[in-house]
Amino acid sequence: MGEIQNNSLQRFMIKKIRIATQGLFLLTFLWLFLQTESKGANELGYPVKIFLDADPLLFLTTSLATWSVDKFPYLALIVVVATVILGRVFCGWVCPLGTLNNMAGSLKRWRLQTAPLNWYRVKYAILIFLLISSLFTLQLTGIVDPLSLLIRSLSVTVYPMFSYATGAAFDAVYSANIPVVVSISEFIYTILKKTVLPFQQPFFIQGAFIGILFFLLLGANLIERRFWCKFLCPLGALLGLLSRYAFLKRSVSEGCDSCGACTASCQGGAAPDRQEERKNTECFICGNCDDICPRNAVSFGFSLKKPGASLDLGKRYVAGSILSGIVAVPLLRISPLMKPAYANPLLIRPPGSVEEKAFLQKCVKCGECMKVCITNGLQPTFLEAGLEGIWSPVLIPRIGYCEYRCTLCGQVCPTGAIQKLDLAEKEKVRIGSAMVDKGRCLPYAHATPCIVCEEVCPTPKKAIWLETVTVKDREGKELIVKQPKVDLTLCTGCGICEAKCPVIGQPAIYVTSVGESRSKDKQLLLP
Amino acid sequence: MNRRKFLKATLISGIAISSPEILFPLIAPADAAVKSDLAVARGTSPARITRAAIDGLGGIKRFISRGDVVVVKPNIGWDRTPEYAANTNPEVVATIVRLCYEAGAKKVKVFDNTVSNAKRCYKQSGIADAVSAVGGLVSFIDDRKFRDMKLSGYALRSWPLYMEVFEADKIINVPIAKTHGLTTLTLGMKNWMGIMGGWRGRIHQRIDGSLVDVSMAVTPVLVVLDAVRILTANGPQGGDLSDVKLLNTVVAGTDQVAVDAYGATLFGMRGSDLAYVRMGHEAGLGTMELSKLKIKRITA
Repeated sequence: MGEIQNNSLQRFMIKKIRIATQGLFLLTFLWLFLQTESKGANELGYPVKIFLDADPLLFLTTSLATWSVDKFPYLALIVVVATVILGRVFCGWVCPLGTLNNMAGSLKRWRLQTAPLNWYRVKYAILIFLLISSLFTLQLTGIVDPLSLLIRSLSVTVYPMFSYATGAAFDAVYSANIPVVVSISEFIYTILKKTVLPFQQPFFIQGAFIGILFFLLLGANLIERRFWCKFLCPLGALLGLLSRYAFLKRSVSEGCDSCGACTASCQGGAAPDRQEERKNTECFICGNCDDICPRNAVSFGFSLKKPGASLDLGKRYVAGSILSGIVAVPLLRISPLMKPAYANPLLIRPPGSVEEKAFLQKCVKCGECMKVCITNGLQPTFLEAGLEGIWSPVLIPRIGYCEYRCTLCGQVCPTGAIQKLDLAEKEKVRIGSAMVDKGRCLPYAHATPCIVCEEVCPTPKKAIWLETVTVKDREGKELIVKQPKVDLTLCTGCGICEAKCPVIGQPAIYVTSVGESRSKDKQLLLP
Repeated sequence: MNRRKFLKATLISGIAISSPEILFPLIAPADAAVKSDLAVARGTSPARITRAAIDGLGGIKRFISRGDVVVVKPNIGWDRTPEYAANTNPEVVATIVRLCYEAGAKKVKVFDNTVSNAKRCYKQSGIADAVSAVGGLVSFIDDRKFRDMKLSGYALRSWPLYMEVFEADKIINVPIAKTHGLTTLTLGMKNWMGIMGGWRGRIHQRIDGSLVDVSMAVTPVLVVLDAVRILTANGPQGGDLSDVKLLNTVVAGTDQVAVDAYGATLFGMRGSDLAYVRMGHEAGLGTMELSKLKIKRITA
């Protein structure tokens, strides 16, 4: 160690700049993540989906699946151009998941690996699978896209965990009620609430499941550093292909004595010690090999020379992934859930969602809408929308209703699966219809007054109206109650009635997707 | 208590009572306070009529003392902007906060247990911004601060209520006048639902008794009913501007039942048409007999 530190200032220059850059991007990413929360105004005020907009894989697969382009992909194009010129700098210097993988990997003390895993082709197989299946309208990229995956995991698991743990700690101090300590802890708690904590504790039905996958992914860094980036990441694969002929090239001078120091420090597993066989598509331009080389034999510079080793993905590998990409399409489409009459009636999509088929082609399961939803009502699906729609958003009114005048989910959706609506449009969108369960409703079944659903109904002319009826109780005594009815021509399916219905558990009024305005098939009333 | 003190004070200053207002314009507000049970101010500026109504009762100093911690409780229940008349007018609330500080209050706290999302309600109602601008302390409801309170038992024997209300030295209720599907109108007593915790939708099963119970647990020094705009249909959430009627009126009083009884007249009803007002009257919470009250009408 001492020897390295002596002249470390110059030798580890690239590494220091890189780590600072990575830190900056990670912090920006996390800050934007925190800003993905309502402040009470109609707009968020920050470009919270900017990282997703910069993801060429999401753009490419969404465009292939829908055979249309939602908006011109400026940021994704910048990433593509940067990759073509510089190589996978996005992976090495920008990607927040890459940085987290770096951090997780540094938890273990590494010795020189004699036989590193050589699974780098797997990610290309995943990429080819995703490109082919999306070409045939099946969009599964969001499940494994690194940015989608990260935002989803943070939204649905990590952030709620952080909030829960912090809240529990401060609550414990609060209830212990030690005079001075409480005022200090409450002061800190108030500051945290105003800065990094969510407004209210989020709860997600898929939280533990999505979290376990995410922690496994981070844990894999202990098997091999940047396990995900090297072996699995489809965005990394796409950028790898784009970096094949990158102008920025690495050269090794005569001074190299094959000591192998660079191999041990290589983040991407690009085999930097073997100039002829070095895989430049695997290089993150992390600069470690340049930094570490005791002979200072490594340098990076621009050149138009052909790269060294050929990129061999393996014919069988490629053929296999193409075939699976094709097969996956009918495999996931033979569920009766595809039939409107059998579609899950509780699959209530966020307001502004495009028609279900297009929705599944566009939604990248990033969880931005779930993060921003002010009532916590938007939840990740499991199999309600079929395997194809796993982790796409569903509104569960018992957890949280759709706030009548809120349009945030459409503002943060990166692909237009949820269209951005203005307030006037939003108020007209119907995401379902509420109906009364007379067997559970107090004024119907139990001769007891209650008008909560009507009270909270937000449409200008209330969709829920009350009929004054004389009913009899057990003793035959006459009572006057008001029984709620739903005017289906006015109901937007926002679900506030279901959310606030005093009949706890199974509510006495509930929303199903029938009548949702995005669907031609799921209509009930004659036009 | 306050009232009694005041009567005593005025008996001593007999001159003030017997003097015609015109001759002693400086003592006039104090004089008015003695005689009026309700003050009804009309005018186009919500801030001015709020001040005028409170002055009509004798001025804010009658209610707020130097060093007081005051809770001002508006209705911020809904995600609506002020013109929809679903929440208390922000200018009315801010004026009251300002008056409290003028009277020397130490802290003036403003909060409500909202029905719609709290962040949107606070922001969209304009109340958070208006109150913060005059130095009021706006806070969101903290679930840890509810405690089960013993109630009078007309409908509820106990219910979790918000402790900050009871920790304050003075409470001012600032409701807005609106229609309601079950109680016909929501005025001052109904506004206390905003300090109730728990699964509060259930109270609609015995709403009138519940409102009396909670109103008896709280002792506001002042009730200021905002009727700048009233919501005449589709309340309490509203959403249709054609249901909103501009009355440019603020009603102030110390008797919770009397203010609500007067509020009913704004909708062409009588206090006795509202079951909770009737029950409150019978329970001795206050009086709904407006004919027996001295009502000061002010145009400001």
